[in-house]
Amino acid sequence: MFEQGRISSVNSVSLSINGKSFPSLRMRSAPRFRVSCAAKPETVDKVCQIVKKQLALPADTTVTGESKFAALGADSLDTVEIVMGLEEEFGISVEEESAQTISTVQDAADLIEKLIETKSA
Amino acid sequence: MFSFVSKRLSLMMMTKVCCFQRNFSSALPPLVPVKLPSKMETHFWYVLPDEVKSESLLSQYSELLSPREKKNLYHMQGDQFKKSALLARVLVRTTIARYQTNCQVNPRSLKFKKTIYGKPEVDWENGDKWCPPPLHFNISHTSSLVACGVTVNVPIGIDVEEKQRRLKNKILAFAKRYFSPDEVKLLTAISDPEIQRQEFIKLWTLKEAYVKAVGRGFSAAPFNTFTIRARVVKMGGFHHFDTQHSEASEIVVESSDDPENLTRNWQFALLDLAGSHYAAICIEKENSAGGEAGVPMRLTVWKTIPFVEDERVSGTGAVVPISGLIKQL
Repeated sequence: MFEQGRISSVNSVSLSINGKSFPSLRMRSAPRFRVSCAAKPETVDKVCQIVKKQLALPADTTVTGESKFAALGADSLDTVEIVMGLEEEFGISVEEESAQTISTVQDAADLIEKLIETKSA
Repeated sequence: MFSFVSKRLSLMMMTKVCCFQRNFSSALPPLVPVKLPSKMETHFWYVLPDEVKSESLLSQYSELLSPREKKNLYHMQGDQFKKSALLARVLVRTTIARYQTNCQVNPRSLKFKKTIYGKPEVDWENGDKWCPPPLHFNISHTSSLVACGVTVNVPIGIDVEEKQRRLKNKILAFAKRYFSPDEVKLLTAISDPEIQRQEFIKLWTLKEAYVKAVGRGFSAAPFNTFTIRARVVKMGGFHHFDTQHSEASEIVVESSDDPENLTRNWQFALLDLAGSHYAAICIEKENSAGGEAGVPMRLTVWKTIPFVEDERVSGTGAVVPISGLIKQL
């Protein structure tokens, strides 16, 4: 499986230079300073739960907003199943183009909240 | 596994001797070189992670990886998954290195890049003293099987899936959401839930292989805009197919969006691999063969443990064709 056409994955690679990543550039690691469109922690938690369940991860596996689906062992079928699980849980519909841009749990949570907001608008 | 001191040392060793196959790694024997597939052939290589038990071999394998690959591996969770991810990188590097018959290529020196759509390909810009072959490859892996398909001149996409794979969601609900209406109809018509599940998995691998062969990401070919199905082909009498049935079935793809052009050029094979996996292969037909019906995919399959053992398994019980016009070599 290759990463499915996500240009955003190029952006995440450019944050690390010579194999070292620069924490100050990784704004996602400091939730307090987030811009306002980021997802609520409860949403992130729910996504983590769904991901853990789909991938049958051992209970002690650390899954956080920063966790990448690919690094957790999700193949493309898992990813689509996760998206479907999220659609059912949150009552939303995720277009395939948007689903392709999701590489971390946080991405999924952010997208979910955006869709919920659009739906109720 | 990732000690920086030994990494620096082996890096120094390798930059000096990158062209000599014998010395590119302190203890690994040379790779057995292989001739490039001809224009109408597909090569398929796979590794069974369970057969790779030696910790020291795995450690040597990890030395073949680029810094970025090592970093990605480091962040992966789960030993089985990490191992198969490592073997996937090793398989693609060693497989491509085998085909450089004029000058030995160090698998560690291969560089990879992605097209703008995210499909991996070899970056021949660095170390391009050698004339790069028009080689195409695609990888797929599960935790129990790692595969790499190779063609010359035409794009290839492959997908492998465990035969026993179960969905967390209900199959028809999933199919209705993601597959085409015709495919949903086909699956709905299957009353036996186990057969339905198997057909679902086979269809999934074929659809994945197609999208990967096209190489433009899922948004270029969303799953519900194309239908893949098997079509019975009258035997021409000249081609010898590997099939247990008297009629051969050809796998075709039909698109609801795009007229004949995009879809008529793709050839598929579906295999039962190693008794444990479904493997789907999709390649583009050469232009001249585009209109010709009934030309089989010429396929050679190897099971390998890189640097240790290669076994050609096409034509054996390890490779059982399920559908598609296939000629095993």
